[in-house]
Amino acid sequence: MNPLIFKLKIRPEFTLNVSPLTPDNLSRKSKIHIKKINIRYGKQKIPVEQLFSITGADPENIKIMGSSDKLICIGHGMSHGNIEVHGDVGDFTGQYMRGGYIHIQGNAGAWVGNCMLNGRINIDGNVGDYLGAGLPGDPHGMSDGLIYISGNAGDRVGDRMRRGIIIICGKAGDYCGSRMVAGTIIVLDKAGKYSGFGMKRGTIILAKKPRHISATFQSSGNLKIQFLRLLFKQLSEMGKQLGFFNKYGPEAHRFTGDLASNGKGEILILQTIKTG
Amino acid sequence: MKINGVIIDDTFAEAFSMKATRIIITAMTLKWAYRAANSLTGFASSVIGCGCESAIERELNPSETPDGRPGIAVMVFAMSTKDLENQVPRRVGQSVMTAASTACYAGLHSEEKISLGKNLRFFGDGYQISKTINGRRFWRIPVMHGEFICEETTGVTKAIGGGNFLVMGKTTRHALTACEKAIEEIKKVAGVITAFPGGIVGSGSKIGSKYKSLVSSTNEAYCPTLKGQVKSELSKEVGSVLEIVIDGLSEEVIREAMRAGILAVCSYGPRKGIYRVSAGNYGGNLGPYHFYLKDILA
Repeated sequence: MNPLIFKLKIRPEFTLNVSPLTPDNLSRKSKIHIKKINIRYGKQKIPVEQLFSITGADPENIKIMGSSDKLICIGHGMSHGNIEVHGDVGDFTGQYMRGGYIHIQGNAGAWVGNCMLNGRINIDGNVGDYLGAGLPGDPHGMSDGLIYISGNAGDRVGDRMRRGIIIICGKAGDYCGSRMVAGTIIVLDKAGKYSGFGMKRGTIILAKKPRHISATFQSSGNLKIQFLRLLFKQLSEMGKQLGFFNKYGPEAHRFTGDLASNGKGEILILQTIKTG
Repeated sequence: MKINGVIIDDTFAEAFSMKATRIIITAMTLKWAYRAANSLTGFASSVIGCGCESAIERELNPSETPDGRPGIAVMVFAMSTKDLENQVPRRVGQSVMTAASTACYAGLHSEEKISLGKNLRFFGDGYQISKTINGRRFWRIPVMHGEFICEETTGVTKAIGGGNFLVMGKTTRHALTACEKAIEEIKKVAGVITAFPGGIVGSGSKIGSKYKSLVSSTNEAYCPTLKGQVKSELSKEVGSVLEIVIDGLSEEVIREAMRAGILAVCSYGPRKGIYRVSAGNYGGNLGPYHFYLKDILA
């Protein structure tokens, strides 16, 4: 079956909440019913057919074409299937996601993977602040799954994150891993200031030495971290895209903290890349 | 039936249902993985006295292990999941975690599970760290050599224990030489182990005893020194009987292992002191799996 394709007919001026367009919500609906689904556009609720032209049939594979950064809540709460977006998207991509796969071929706004429970999100471009974080009032941030960012991420990556893995191929902003409860954040380019601020547990892996490590982190020295071998091997086997992880070795400078909080978190600064 | 002059008895090996798990032990070098695996599988020859049956299944290349280091696949068999739960974490805790540079992972993935690092983590005294990667949960336990990584659980599957055959030779040296060759061939079959020392049983048993407290005792019908004293199953030229017991994950792999082992034994022939191959059974009352030698070798 061909993927179910939604092509944006307008250039949105307000936020367009596409949270109903998930495999979970569309799987038992006919195309006629899908066209009549109301989605929130600014303050109004408008039928899908007025905003998108719809082709294809497979609700397990949804494509959104001609996207804009006004589209918010892509894949909200989805538990299975795939959503592929051609273009940029706004905030809250993959919010409360429970499974499946979201691929954004562009940039994304803030709060990507907000309170995500499982599944995988791939962003080909950059993302805004609060990647994998929890909203005020949420008990915590993402609690499982994997988020892969090809570009850069904003501030407060993984704020109050509880479990799961975030991989940022580019740079991360300030307060990366702030108030982390657990989980793993990997930044392959430079991270901003105050990484791990207030973290209780969890792991922040930095491939490049940061400019600044908070005074509330204590050095454990350069060590071979057995967990890094396991992590990099497992990641490198999770598809071609992550195959490059097999070049990283287990040697890292370990900082433990944040001693102002629980103090059982760690920042691992990678020391070597395998050669040959 | 004869193969290379060796008589194959028209009988069957009787096997019974068990539960099994596989665990993967990795270390900095294969030597240290072997040391941990040998310790874990020590004193695990028979469920009768050891609580489980365990042996090394095979070596693993770094590409086959979860952390990219050399490793060993070990299989553990027991009569129930509860028995496995009782044996495996204790053996991992005392034999693998204590070995330098090791890590321990699940080698089987199934719905039914037993704990591996689930309770061992408490050795970390609050400094242990949980990590979930691709749906698998691992524990990082800080230890003096660095970190002991242990997967939280390992899968359990239905299995079969007690596939066997008896090798009758002129002397122990003759029988042992042929059995060693058989074990080499059996090791090439995936999914089976031979848990007794060196894979070979020197004191095969029958069920029951004249002493009420014993569940098993010597199989006098196959003891060469009792010829003439009891109703012996041995001809006058047989001076030694050895048994190979095989546990496996399925009937197919046990059949394949028995075939490989018996053919290896038969390749020696009467000229090299191998006269007869038989199998141990208890009249079909012990277990539901009957491996007829003639079917296996057909």
